Amino acid sequence: MALLIAALISGCASSVKLVTPTIPTPLTDKIPISVGLRMPDNFDHYVHEENVFGREEWTIDLGNANAALFKQLFSHMFDHVTVLGAQDDPQLMDIDALIEPSIDAFEFSTPAQSKTDAFAVWIRYRLRVYDQAGTLVSNWPVSAYGKSQTTVMNKSDALHRAAVLAMRDAAALMIIKLDDVTGISSLGHSTPAASAPVAAPISDVVDGGDVPSGALEVRPDDAS
Amino acid sequence: MMHPNRILKPLACMVAIFTVSGCITSTVQDVRKGGTGIADGEAIVIMGKSYHLGNETEAKYIQCIEDAMAQGREGLRVIPRREFVDSLFPWFEPRTAPAETKNLAKLMSRPGVAEKIAEQKIRYIVWLAGDTEKVAGGGSMSCAAGPGGGGCFGFAWWQKDADYDAAVWDLDGLESAGTVSTDVSGKSFMPALVIPLPFIARTQAKACHTLADQLHSFITDEETT
Repeated sequence: MALLIAALISGCASSVKLVTPTIPTPLTDKIPISVGLRMPDNFDHYVHEENVFGREEWTIDLGNANAALFKQLFSHMFDHVTVLGAQDDPQLMDIDALIEPSIDAFEFSTPAQSKTDAFAVWIRYRLRVYDQAGTLVSNWPVSAYGKSQTTVMNKSDALHRAAVLAMRDAAALMIIKLDDVTGISSLGHSTPAASAPVAAPISDVVDGGDVPSGALEVRPDDAS
Repeated sequence: MMHPNRILKPLACMVAIFTVSGCITSTVQDVRKGGTGIADGEAIVIMGKSYHLGNETEAKYIQCIEDAMAQGREGLRVIPRREFVDSLFPWFEPRTAPAETKNLAKLMSRPGVAEKIAEQKIRYIVWLAGDTEKVAGGGSMSCAAGPGGGGCFGFAWWQKDADYDAAVWDLDGLESAGTVSTDVSGKSFMPALVIPLPFIARTQAKACHTLADQLHSFITDEETT
């Protein structure tokens, strides 16, 4: 009886847990600078909850998908990427620029709302770019969109796919526009390829000499 | 003992009734702008036009065209679209994919793009647009169930239109080879006298096979304009 009641209560609740998306290696040249990446805490455990029409409960657990996305993406885009912890002082580090991504909004629509057979997801990220002196040089909102049609058997799959497509859309936009919008390549004063230490696996650099405690260097293979 | 025919005949009738489909009318046409033909080992990619441009082509329709083009003794080598899109990331994402052939030259000049396309021996990209929509319907049917059984009475019908275009881009000359279009209309009926008997017109499936057959001929026929 208890099981039946539980089943009835959860009948209108759906949940989606995002599997970390893989961003393919882009066919673009890397920007030859060294950047620091500092992400907010919620990038490691982002959960979006929404009540649609007061009837349908949706929970979308992005987990650490945002953190994984930015680590992968920037390791493909820049010569060197160092992930900074909250306590790390970027001015003590051998980086040309600091990028702080954040998430302004996550929204989605169900087929019932859009009167179509598709789920759509909108994500608005924000990228703050600082130079070596810590001056904010760019504050760029990145709006991304993904859409996926429902299948008869599993609507959660469609929402999952729409979210992954929105993240890929954000990645594509940043690859193509980041330098034009922020001018980040002009912040490269040093010659990181020559001066920076050879990147090591994440597990090896936590206590590394050149990288302050808590900061991690990221290579493309480590990012996912 | 009951004669087997007394069971088999009604059963055969039921099977026949259920396999009869609704009414379908279809047209297909192509407009050729350039010469076509495909060499051994060359491949094609079937893509849906971007939803950023408002296109609603169903994923299962694109998959159906992919499968139909690859099938049979004369099937073509079809590169799965997700594999293609990943290999050329980020240049064929919904936001970034070229919308016109005039953008192809610039795209091919980007680092690694021409090499990836040559590596996979892709000769044509086919861009699908269009969808299947229910355009009309009517009738009424009511069903009831009680302790002694249940049943439905009435008559319902609906009509679906499937309109699809396939634009063929030739990557050899970086130009449009032409367009193949299909327009299929299917009417389905469901009379019910206790048991509903569906006569379903498989409109989208018909549009898939019609377009795939014509597209296959369009690409393989070595015609010049």
